[in-house]
Amino acid sequence: MRKVFIILGLIAAILAVILSVLPLSNLAFIPAILALAFGIAALYLTNKSGASKKIIHYIFLLTVLSLAFATYKSVFSRPEVVNTEELQEKEIESEQEAIDELEELDIEVEDLEGINLE
Amino acid sequence: MYRITIVLVFLFSFFGNAQNNAVGANEKLVFTASYNMSGILNNLAEVRMETSEVKTSKTTLLRLKCTASTYSKWDHFFKIRDLYESYVSPTTLKPYLYKRDINEGGYYKAMKYTYNHKTNTIKTLQQKKKKDGTVWDENKTISVQSKTKDIVSTLYGIRTMDFGNMPQGKSTELIIVFDREEFIAHITYLGKENISTAIGNKSCYKLSIDTNKADVLKGSNSNIIWLTADENKIPVYATFKIAVGNGELKLKSASGLRH
Repeated sequence: MRKVFIILGLIAAILAVILSVLPLSNLAFIPAILALAFGIAALYLTNKSGASKKIIHYIFLLTVLSLAFATYKSVFSRPEVVNTEELQEKEIESEQEAIDELEELDIEVEDLEGINLE
Repeated sequence: MYRITIVLVFLFSFFGNAQNNAVGANEKLVFTASYNMSGILNNLAEVRMETSEVKTSKTTLLRLKCTASTYSKWDHFFKIRDLYESYVSPTTLKPYLYKRDINEGGYYKAMKYTYNHKTNTIKTLQQKKKKDGTVWDENKTISVQSKTKDIVSTLYGIRTMDFGNMPQGKSTELIIVFDREEFIAHITYLGKENISTAIGNKSCYKLSIDTNKADVLKGSNSNIIWLTADENKIPVYATFKIAVGNGELKLKSASGLRH
């Protein structure tokens, strides 16, 4: 049982570390909490049996690292959109093309009477 | 992003040729699109909806423009830069020209619809980029129903609906053309609700959306949109269930409102 908790704890802790460095860092909290739970369970069983706790310390270390990184990212990194110059150019070009095409269209005048956009 | 767009379509769908008293020129709405997993939200993209006047030598139209751009942290994984436009009558939001230009993770596609309301047909032009970089054009004319609208004009058209006098539970049928195919959607008015938004605490019309296009939106009563219960009827919040989970759109800022 102790080994099962250690393996599950390690897997969860590694997953938390991986997620914390990806853009989906908020999701790292889920495996990190699981890793903590498995780590505590493994620690409890280890204390009873008197076996080595070294590997369990690694689980806690990885979990703390992932939690710290995920928390830092969620607090300090602001979502922003960059590199939109190409899109902005496309918007301007597209409008100009559209005006040329609209000039050729037969737009019913009655539909556009009484325009008040303000 | 296709799914977000489809969701947006339903969020703002159209109702006949009702008079437009809600959408003016120079309106700018900015949303954050997020993906929800086990209650943890991940911001994916910024969605902008802007309007402006477009003058031709004969007339003045309203340009409805929607853009979607992934946040910078996602750009290395899956960069999205989408542009959707519709050129419509300012009074009825009847569309005359629709353009779509999408660039999603290296996949490029453009679509143009030119409406002929007399014959109820749409002249379409689809452009796709091949692997060698050349663009492949495909022209096609499709017959549509008289009240069929494209995605963007549908997007705004819902705001011309009169929810104030609508009985709770009333459902309205919408016909939307997307990717040169028509499909039917229903919007059901669920009543009023107060919600907290980026522009304050607002009384809102709550609407549910469902469609016969099963691959787009999942579940019934899982796709909900809230529009402010004032003359502007701007969308402030939406939740939707899609094939890959749950998502939400939240208003970040609004400016240039008509009222």
